[in-house]
Amino acid sequence: MKKVISKLLVGVLAVSMMVSGCSTAKKLANVDSNAPVAKEEMKVGFIYVGPIGDGGWTYAHNEARLYVEEQLGVQTFYKESVPEGPEVEKVLKDMIDQGANVIFATSFGYMDYVEKVAKQYPHIKFLHCSGYKTADNMSNYFGRMYQARYLSGIVAGMKTQSDTIGYVAAFEIPEVIRGINAFTLGVRSVNPDAKVVVRWTHTWYDPAKEKEAAKALLDEGADVIAQHQDTAGPQQAAEERGVWSVGYNTDMQATAPQAYMTAPIWNWGPYYAQQVQAVMEGTWKSESYWGSMNEEIVRLAPLTAIAPEGSKEKVAEMEGKIKDNSFTVFQGPIKDQNGEVKVEEGQQMTDGEMLSFDWFVEGVVGKIEK
Amino acid sequence: MIRLIKKADISQSQIMTIRIMAVFLSLFTAGVFILFLGHNPFSVYGSMMSGSFGSLYRLQETILKTIPLLITSLGIAVAFRMKFWNIGAEGQICMGAFCASFFALHFSELPSLILLPIMMVAGIVGGGVWALIPGVFKAYFGTNETLFTLMMNYIALKWITYLQYGPWKDPDALGFPKIKNFSESAILPNIFGIHIGWIIALLLVAIMHFFIHYTKKGYEITVVGESENTARYAGMDVKKVVLIGLLISGGLCGITGMIQASAISNTLSVEVSGGVGFTAIITTWLSGLSAPMIVLISFLFAILVQGGSFIQTAFQIPQSAAQMLQGVILFFVLGSEFFIQYQVIFPWNQYMQKEEN
Amino acid sequence: MNTNTLIKMENITKRFGTVLANKNINFSVKQGEIHALLGENGAGKSTLMNMLSGIYTPDSGSIFIRDQKVRLSSPRHAIAAGIGMIHQHFKLVEALSAKENVIAGEKKQFFLHSKKLSARIKEISQSFGLELDPDKKIYTMSVGEKQTVEILKVLYRGADILILDEPTAVLTAQETVQLFSILRKMKNAGCGVIIITHKLHEVMEVSDRVTVLRKGETVATVCTKETTPKALTDLMVGRSVDLSIQRIETTHKQSILEIKEVTVVDEEKVKVLNNVSFTLRTGEILGVAGVAGSGQKALCEAIAGLQKVNSGKIIYEEEDIVGKTPKEIIQKGISMSFIPEDRLGMGLVASMDMVDNLILKEYQNQKGFVLDRKPAQKKAEHLIHKLNIQTPGIHHPVRQLSGGNIQKVLLGREIDLNPRVLITVYPVRGLDVGSSYMIYDLLNEQKMLGVAILYVGEDLDVLLELCDRILVLCDGRVTGIVEAHSTNKEQLGFMMAGEEQWEQEVEVVD
Repeated sequence: MKKVISKLLVGVLAVSMMVSGCSTAKKLANVDSNAPVAKEEMKVGFIYVGPIGDGGWTYAHNEARLYVEEQLGVQTFYKESVPEGPEVEKVLKDMIDQGANVIFATSFGYMDYVEKVAKQYPHIKFLHCSGYKTADNMSNYFGRMYQARYLSGIVAGMKTQSDTIGYVAAFEIPEVIRGINAFTLGVRSVNPDAKVVVRWTHTWYDPAKEKEAAKALLDEGADVIAQHQDTAGPQQAAEERGVWSVGYNTDMQATAPQAYMTAPIWNWGPYYAQQVQAVMEGTWKSESYWGSMNEEIVRLAPLTAIAPEGSKEKVAEMEGKIKDNSFTVFQGPIKDQNGEVKVEEGQQMTDGEMLSFDWFVEGVVGKIEK
Repeated sequence: MIRLIKKADISQSQIMTIRIMAVFLSLFTAGVFILFLGHNPFSVYGSMMSGSFGSLYRLQETILKTIPLLITSLGIAVAFRMKFWNIGAEGQICMGAFCASFFALHFSELPSLILLPIMMVAGIVGGGVWALIPGVFKAYFGTNETLFTLMMNYIALKWITYLQYGPWKDPDALGFPKIKNFSESAILPNIFGIHIGWIIALLLVAIMHFFIHYTKKGYEITVVGESENTARYAGMDVKKVVLIGLLISGGLCGITGMIQASAISNTLSVEVSGGVGFTAIITTWLSGLSAPMIVLISFLFAILVQGGSFIQTAFQIPQSAAQMLQGVILFFVLGSEFFIQYQVIFPWNQYMQKEEN
Repeated sequence: MNTNTLIKMENITKRFGTVLANKNINFSVKQGEIHALLGENGAGKSTLMNMLSGIYTPDSGSIFIRDQKVRLSSPRHAIAAGIGMIHQHFKLVEALSAKENVIAGEKKQFFLHSKKLSARIKEISQSFGLELDPDKKIYTMSVGEKQTVEILKVLYRGADILILDEPTAVLTAQETVQLFSILRKMKNAGCGVIIITHKLHEVMEVSDRVTVLRKGETVATVCTKETTPKALTDLMVGRSVDLSIQRIETTHKQSILEIKEVTVVDEEKVKVLNNVSFTLRTGEILGVAGVAGSGQKALCEAIAGLQKVNSGKIIYEEEDIVGKTPKEIIQKGISMSFIPEDRLGMGLVASMDMVDNLILKEYQNQKGFVLDRKPAQKKAEHLIHKLNIQTPGIHHPVRQLSGGNIQKVLLGREIDLNPRVLITVYPVRGLDVGSSYMIYDLLNEQKMLGVAILYVGEDLDVLLELCDRILVLCDGRVTGIVEAHSTNKEQLGFMMAGEEQWEQEVEVVD
């Protein structure tokens, strides 16, 4: 009996695979990729690197997804905790299979897979967050988080007493390096003696590991913790040790009420809604979008009572300068860790330079593995 | 006190009854769980099925999930047949993928027809040698293979991590820890919309079935597994048989690694095996080490995985909940094996009953 | 009802799958009697006793203990009801002392009341004539002593019904005498003793009544005084059986295998064979007698190449085969067949069918990569026919065959290889009378063909009747080689116990 079943099964497999092989190619041809899409037919997919309850990066994206649903009344769906590996390709295809016509892929490591799948499905729109590749049907989008990071650095720099600030960081990629540099410039704009000590975790989402890294930094003498991670783990470490912290992604006050001062946060909702709207209207175009504080895609969360005196005023001043473009964060003179001047007085870094950041500014204690 | 008694005898129909009951119980329990999540269990189950078979694409995905499970199970079955508890398939997959990737990355100019067979052989050697190491230690020093193979997994995984973050890190990835993608010639071609691994898998099923049951080496492996004493008595070189068996076992796992790296990842990464090496232990065991049954069980398992992944997006069930569902179903199916072997005596049946006469 | 009756089993039926193991069996044991349970393998003796000791529960029928109907659903209940079973394989913790083993499994008390315990053990020992040092560790004990511990354990727990499953299989003649005296004392104290055995002379010697089972049914219960071994065998087998073993005289005796001063040291540095020398000749059966564990296993395995030999020579037709692998010994055309004691653990693969078991010894002579089963299939059918092997078919796992049929498969395979030397270890252990005689006949047949046979046996009566010469081993030493027709059980018994006084005489005879 068992043998019969298994033989049958092998047969079924073989036949079904032959049938399936013939039809895939046809489906894809002859679709006008820019025809308007009816609201009922819109289905927007989101791929997250962590769980939606991470209280950080993924949470912020998911809030934006809900915003899109609310504003436009279109159908959305998501898949959480998708590792930055071959699984991504499968999840993208699954979503297309389930009717997605726009997909937001919200982690750097998804980039190559999005690019690969985008080639195979020219009628589907892909928006990849934090990368640098584009195609006719693939945008990349991000925000100038370094602006808000600079502001949060001011808060941290004014708060620290040990002049040592710990920074828990995920991967040695330009996005993270840029954030660390902007933060450090902010710190040293108010406290030229302070240093920012970096610790790599090599994970986006691992609450325990992130917390451990923060603790290690505190052991090294830091009294303010900042982070480029998706969870509030480092905040908890600061809370437990009775020191201070700067969050990331979302307002993390609830997690660490005694430590949290502020956080550079994301506000993806308006951009997402605008993009989906464009697809519905047939006006969508592939782009490399790098939104600034003016577009509100990045913000600094309101300062709490723990934030140092005078910081509110200083932040407001610099925020004004950033918004009216009289200050661009990465403007000379900027020295690297060796004291060499990398950006001359009066010069500014270009977007291209910022997008491929691979060195630390003066004041950062840490190493970039190449 | 509840006591257990080993069943002396059990008929095939009883076994089937217990298994079918287990499946229904698991569906029922998982159904209650789904209700708590606020969904209709029937529509969730329905969409698990439709997620696995509902379209050609979904069927292809299910088959893609079957392939690595199937080949790895075939490999583990060879070791298990010798009562060598090879828990190291995960590591053997990684090392197979590593060796295959070495050629894919360093000889990427070679044409497919030459490069792919080289990668396949490299995969077999990588996985085989990784299985052979604990085998040698067991044969000559009597070390415990379960722990040894388990630990070898971590070494292999960490080795790949090291490569990914260190020497093999793609300089073009702007610091992101990934290994360079393979060139086109190092990627397995598709046949009928699915990479050629499915043909390899089916061929391997036939080969392994024939090998175990109709060749002298397969016969030796079976005898060694049944009784080492008998094997020695019959003049077999037990150590040699075990080591050859392990080369085959690890080699098959290595093939999985090569296929996954080439066709699925198009590169080497720590995600290459994705836990298949552990899942395959379950499928191997459930299929009773028989190659044709491995096809069936791996396919059913792939349905569970693919269907479970489908309902996450279809019903927006959290990933952890979907995994719990899979866990519940597995729990009952594996648990039923216990009831096939043992009988439970409850306290109210236990005491010497003095019946009125 | 008779208050004298300890146990009464009425219309007991037990079915395993499709096999009816016990069918409406009636069986009773009176107070103060030794009751022998006799039957061929598979007659249902063990099943019946396992139900009495709570391991199985009957499908139908009733069990009464002292006229009270009981349901024994676990060994614990059986013990509570006063039933204790001594299994063939002892269940003792080797590292513990006799005393500690006796109380192992008792949960009532947390602390050992050592003195009280010793006193109680002494009391039991004295009343039943058990000779035992309560503080002696099990691993230092002989088989007989271990059995005594098992008996003590059961008695300590208050059993007054004792079941012994083939208790004498592992004992020397002297130890058997001792055991029987213990059993008689128990009987006199009013206990009931059930003894399962194949050895008819023991049944005649020790029992009061005999119940004979055949194919799961009670054939008869008779008083021992009123029956004869012949009558019992006939009842058991269901037809008339000739009980004499032939010793066939052959003429062409030539030396074929010479063992010269062989010494084997095991992993614990114990000399399991100590300077053993003898010659095996064609056309003769050389018996090997000795208490279990005297070096029989090492001797046979050394000849088969399975055991490392530390010093000495084993000369087969002028070639020293010491240091050769089993494969070389099998393949070199030495045609030496070894039928190990452990049939399913060594000689055969339990889960495989007859065909796959028959290829075991010769598949290596096949050319190529693929296994050819056709010759073995033919051979299997031939053996089933020739040896009257009871099996559902050639593809039935050998594990599911009865002991006698398993032995026939093993012996059949080895004989079919046309060996010149045949080594068999306890070939009739666990076999019923009918099967045993079949094996003796097969061995005699081989002897007539000129095969040299080394027969390691345990039943001295059989050794004396079947063999031409008998070699006695004690603690790995040869304590004598005697002509079977000019010796007796007592002489053998003394040599088995280590007395070497017979050696001188032997040499004269030889």
